[in-house]
Amino acid sequence: MLEAIIEILLKTAVILALPLGALPIIIHVERRGAAFIQKRLGPNRVGPLGLLQPLADVAKFMFKEEVHPSHVRPFFYTAAPVVALVVAILPLACIPIFAPIEIFGRSVYPEVFKSDMGIFFAFAASALGSYGILLAGWASNNKYSMLGAIRACAQMVSYELSLSTSLVAMIFLYGSNDIHVMVAEQTGYWFGFLPKWGFFLQPVAAMLFLIGIFAESNRLPFDLAEGESEIVAGYHIEYSSMKFALFFMAEYIHMIALSALFIIMFFGGYSLLPGMELIADRIPASLAILQALSLIIKVASMIWFFVWVRWSFPRFRYDQLMNLGWERLLPIGIANLIVTVLFVYFRNH
Amino acid sequence: MSIYYYLSIFLFCLGLLGTILKKDLISMLLCLELMMGGVALLFILFSKSTGFLDAQLMVVFTLIVSACEVAVGLSLIIALYRKKQTIYTDDIKIITE
Amino acid sequence: MAADILLTFITVVFALMVVFSKRTVVAAFSLLMTLLSIAMIYFQLGTVFLSAVQVLINAGAIAILFVFVMMLINLENFTNNREKNKTKLIIATFTVLVILGVLALVINNNIETLSLVNLADNSMKALFEKLFTTYYLPFEMATVLLLAAIVACVVIASHGKKAEEKQ
Repeated sequence: MLEAIIEILLKTAVILALPLGALPIIIHVERRGAAFIQKRLGPNRVGPLGLLQPLADVAKFMFKEEVHPSHVRPFFYTAAPVVALVVAILPLACIPIFAPIEIFGRSVYPEVFKSDMGIFFAFAASALGSYGILLAGWASNNKYSMLGAIRACAQMVSYELSLSTSLVAMIFLYGSNDIHVMVAEQTGYWFGFLPKWGFFLQPVAAMLFLIGIFAESNRLPFDLAEGESEIVAGYHIEYSSMKFALFFMAEYIHMIALSALFIIMFFGGYSLLPGMELIADRIPASLAILQALSLIIKVASMIWFFVWVRWSFPRFRYDQLMNLGWERLLPIGIANLIVTVLFVYFRNH
Repeated sequence: MSIYYYLSIFLFCLGLLGTILKKDLISMLLCLELMMGGVALLFILFSKSTGFLDAQLMVVFTLIVSACEVAVGLSLIIALYRKKQTIYTDDIKIITE
Repeated sequence: MAADILLTFITVVFALMVVFSKRTVVAAFSLLMTLLSIAMIYFQLGTVFLSAVQVLINAGAIAILFVFVMMLINLENFTNNREKNKTKLIIATFTVLVILGVLALVINNNIETLSLVNLADNSMKALFEKLFTTYYLPFEMATVLLLAAIVACVVIASHGKKAEEKQ
């Protein structure tokens, strides 16, 4: 009993430390990446290559004066960033970083929360993602906030549908919703060089899921809720200093969690990158570390992709966004699901 | 574990009390949802105690029906609000005007 | 044992807040928390799929609908200074207490046969085998019901708007 508790606490500490520790790096990559795409220099004064800039940002957030507007509803105003952060971290609890290994005679599963429902937990948790924004927008007692919050919530709920259709198609294909089984199906190569990733089997579902995760995390081109030129700052107008930083963190961690899900379903999860098997064959004890490294490299490239897309596309208008979600993506998702089901049926018979 | 039986009937009766006593339509719908939550919990407890899996499926169907009912109910409330500018049942005494 | 009592206590607190809070928005968010704690109870009873479904549908869609509609019709502009009907309060409370007592008595008498030995097969596979063989017709009818509800919502909610625009 005691060792189970220690195991869970250690796993929680690792799963929390990884994204929260990577957060300053991601923020720095975003600012330098944005500058690189826009042909200017990013922050490069604080420390070598500007690497201490996130530290300076954190210090600024901590020492800045917290403005408490008098017209906000006190309890929900303070609760909203906390809810947003908690709900953003929640999907990370079911994501494993390596295959189960044996330590001291007991098999250790690297995810914090192992259950029968596997990947459904991540989707159920990200379905709650709209509440932080909704609370923030409503508690601010401000028409711009309310507008931004309602639009963001409607967008998140609409794009959950295309996420779900592509998730169901992938679960059909892999035959299980256990993440370890999904990754095990994606190890190996076709024709000796092409990795057996889900992206090559189901490009349509991958595109749907990709567009869906951009919409779920409110990133450009779907960031209507916080569009600066349109509704000032949307649902976090009235927030200053540390509470605003919490929203910021929540958005990035949501990005990390969703891109981890994308990698698990379509890019092999923690299966080894091509070329790493040579090291794993020589040193069998390092398999777990190599798998964790593969996952981290894949998620990092996905995050760079997020930054790249952010500075390459203009923002969607609200009616274009809703049109895309309901009239284009949902029928494509359902058609893809039908084709996948037929394919799986004829493959098994 | 058997405290959950008492919890489910407590939720049901609390929802019933709320539906009777509340005066605006949205609060009544909220308490109705509470009643359905209690009933679903009771179904699952029965499924656990008899080993009959069908009761869990009944919960899924109840959930689907409850979702439809809430959606239609809320759109009715919006239509009512557009016509009468109120959601209190005391003000909706006359059917036609 | 302690987990049961804790979860029950949390659910009871939030359910009481749903019924007895003065502001409707607080009631809606308390309903969300009640549904989440009921999902935790489902998880503790072993039916993991139903707890995921409960969070996804009930807490992730129905409660969001409630909060949405409350924001759209801007509930705070209503002043809730209606007269309280004392007689109705007393009679309603008494009736509901009687109903609660009768139900509690029924459960109390049969508590041995209702003991929660974990007899059911917990896996999702057994559940879905039943869904797609015995209960296939209700499954398809639920699909049709959802379609009908979507069409009904769109028609009802946009009908008033057209009448408003005509004026």
